[in-house]
Amino acid sequence: MSDLREEVTDLIYNEATLLDRREWDAWIALYTEDAVYWVPSWVNEEETTEDPELQLNLIYLRNRGGLEDRVFRIESRDSYASVPLDRTVHVIGNVLVQKEGAEEVEATANCIIHTYGKKGGLTRASLYDFVFRRVNGDLKIARKKITFIDDRLEGPIDVYHL
Amino acid sequence: MDGGIIENDLSALVDDRVDDGMFRVDRAVYNDEQIFEREVSAIFERCWFFLCHESQISNYGDYFWTEIGRQPVFVHRQEDGSLKCFINACSHRAAILTPFKQGNAKTLTCRFHGWSYRCDGACIGVKNEEEGTDRNKFNLREIANLASYKGFVFGSLSEDVSSLDEWLGAARPWIDLMVAQSPDGLEVVAGNSTYKTDGNWKLQAENSVDGYHVSTVHRVFAHTIAARESKGEYTGIKKTEAGRIGGGVPTASYDLGNGHMAIWAQHTTPEVRPIWEAKDRLEKELSPKQVEWILTKGRNLYLFPNVMLMDNPSTQIRVMKPRSADRVDITVYCIAPKGESKRARAGRLRKFEDFYLTAGMATSDDIAALEDSHEGSMARGAQWCEFNRGIGSIVEGADEEAKELGFEPQVCTNNWDHEVIYHGFYRHWLKMISGDRSV
Repeated sequence: MSDLREEVTDLIYNEATLLDRREWDAWIALYTEDAVYWVPSWVNEEETTEDPELQLNLIYLRNRGGLEDRVFRIESRDSYASVPLDRTVHVIGNVLVQKEGAEEVEATANCIIHTYGKKGGLTRASLYDFVFRRVNGDLKIARKKITFIDDRLEGPIDVYHL
Repeated sequence: MDGGIIENDLSALVDDRVDDGMFRVDRAVYNDEQIFEREVSAIFERCWFFLCHESQISNYGDYFWTEIGRQPVFVHRQEDGSLKCFINACSHRAAILTPFKQGNAKTLTCRFHGWSYRCDGACIGVKNEEEGTDRNKFNLREIANLASYKGFVFGSLSEDVSSLDEWLGAARPWIDLMVAQSPDGLEVVAGNSTYKTDGNWKLQAENSVDGYHVSTVHRVFAHTIAARESKGEYTGIKKTEAGRIGGGVPTASYDLGNGHMAIWAQHTTPEVRPIWEAKDRLEKELSPKQVEWILTKGRNLYLFPNVMLMDNPSTQIRVMKPRSADRVDITVYCIAPKGESKRARAGRLRKFEDFYLTAGMATSDDIAALEDSHEGSMARGAQWCEFNRGIGSIVEGADEEAKELGFEPQVCTNNWDHEVIYHGFYRHWLKMISGDRSV
């Protein structure tokens, strides 16, 4: 395995682990300040939205503050949907470096997410499209697009379900 | 239930003694499958049911597949621009005819045995047709009634309904306030979300016009947005509606008749609404009262039985498909004025994503509350839900605001914390499941 592929894979593994172990601040620290976090919605059975600005997304956060909102809400213990918090296990696979540029690295990965909560166990899946950027020597997430395979959604969906 | 609720007196489900200060509903209405079966046949498949918005089927051949109650139907745009709605099943062996929820097909060919149908429903092809086949016998079945109110399309499986205008009644001026926002009409924005809810559809109906839950369930939303704004984040969204969520602003609630209900709350920062950019034009075209309502009142409208139209900092069509007593599937769409600026459209969508989705930071909490209510309703030891808040301050007919805008509610109150608008909803519901043909 190349050094870069190993570094990218470790970062994606690390993100999944931090989400499952609810280490929110460490999770957010994996993102650049200007990170874009985008979960398109499905336009029809086969296609998702493509223009996040002018079409409806499931989540579209245009900087890290949007992720901080989500964590604020979870940690407030005042969100009906987030108390009790669902348990999650993310299993990452198919990590591939797609493009290595001078400034940025692009990679794709798959994720199977098993969650357990009020509705019992549910297994869902996401396609990840990452853009990473090096900040002070460390690779950070500058953009994450999550194509959530499920369409008719069972129960509330938050950043740790995806 | 001994012998089942249905065999007993249905009217016992609604304890309607407003003059004694009591209006309560038996919680069995939320979870009894026999009652649900009756709702399917006596309500959903008998009254006007919301199907889609015309912008979703704007061109010749565009179709939209949905259900009325349990029956699959599709609305199809005809060559002359009119709409028809058919039972979505091949006349031969019942296979669904539309491959997608939404698509375009001037001719629909069944993918099972290859029978084909023209846009107007005529059966025009039978594979390996036998001599003497009368194709006309196999034309698609049109539903009994289809009508559109300013772009919102409704259908009924029953011949025996009043006109759509009559049915919408006092709700029409509320719809007009949305439609008036663009000279070119409204459009459904690309993208949508469907979520399954483990709870009765009437809990969703109640929730959509329940001002009382806002300051508890959505307190965390207001706090989250306040924290965001204190950091100066998110240009283009600006301040949100903390006043509206926290309480302390003028509000009102209306029983609009025929089971329709509505609420409004005054905006503390109306200038952040995407429609604010159209202020000058609206002031030229509409009455001052209409402009005031459009710009400064956040409004939730529930149309019996299956659709909600929300006009707040974002704008939404929320469609219910009740599946069983304990499950309703909900699809939400952003509906927006055609021709608004990209900045307004983006602001509208970001607000929608923040609040109105199961992946958002408010609707998700609504669903959790609704599902908990459904589960709690199973406790037969505690039989009743009282809807008594505000019962002492019921105003019969219109208040000043309603008079000035021009609609005549059955009753209203000057507080969205009040629950008296549910009286009309449950009276109408009871009439319909009891088979009263006068409604």
